[in-house]
Amino acid sequence: MDEFETGALGGTDTAQRLDTPWEVVLWNDPVSLISLVVRVLRTIFGYPKDKAEQLTMIVHNEGKAVVWTGDKETATSYCVALHGYALSATIQPAR
Amino acid sequence: MSDEPFRRSPTGITVSIPPLLRSWLIAQAQAAAAGAVQLGDPVHRRLLGPIDPTEDHDDPLTELQRQFAVEGPLSLLVATAEATEISEEEAEQWIQGLQLILAASAARLAVVTEDDVAALDEVQHGELTTIQALISLLIDALDG
Repeated sequence: MDEFETGALGGTDTAQRLDTPWEVVLWNDPVSLISLVVRVLRTIFGYPKDKAEQLTMIVHNEGKAVVWTGDKETATSYCVALHGYALSATIQPAR
Repeated sequence: MSDEPFRRSPTGITVSIPPLLRSWLIAQAQAAAAGAVQLGDPVHRRLLGPIDPTEDHDDPLTELQRQFAVEGPLSLLVATAEATEISEEEAEQWIQGLQLILAASAARLAVVTEDDVAALDEVQHGELTTIQALISLLIDALDG
């Protein structure tokens, strides 16, 4: 994970990693309905309809979209919630 | 399928789907739940693969939360599949359960891209579109 700085001993700098914002990435899948994805983004993140639709279309057209950025614990919770609707989502450190 | 398989009522959502479809949904939900707990099964990889792709697996708490997020809606779907009316909360879990069934079916059919969908035979395609139709109609009943 070259986006992390390394400490004096060459290991990952834990403090740096904890401070790093994390992204929730939503991936396109060929079977989930667009209307379902919009609804889930509104339900889980509380996004207004316009923003949820915009993100959904980015996922649909570009294959993925960062749908939220923040601390790792919350990113994990959101990711788990998205998986509860069987949507493909992962977390990654923000670049 | 009848014209209105899901209809809002004063106390929840009325479910009017044929008995055969209800039985099929139960079987699909049970198959999805069984696949989800089998390591190496494509359904397990699709529904419970690690959320941080750089890790081999999630931390134990997240793993537990995710297992519950899969088992809960599928169990509820099986338990209420014969019901003629479900509450709004149950309907929300039906949406989750139907989505899990859809994803599990796609995983079993090795559907990853739009091209994979196009390559399905009529029966396989019908399986996916039936679940999609139920999801869409239930969303309409809940939000419409």
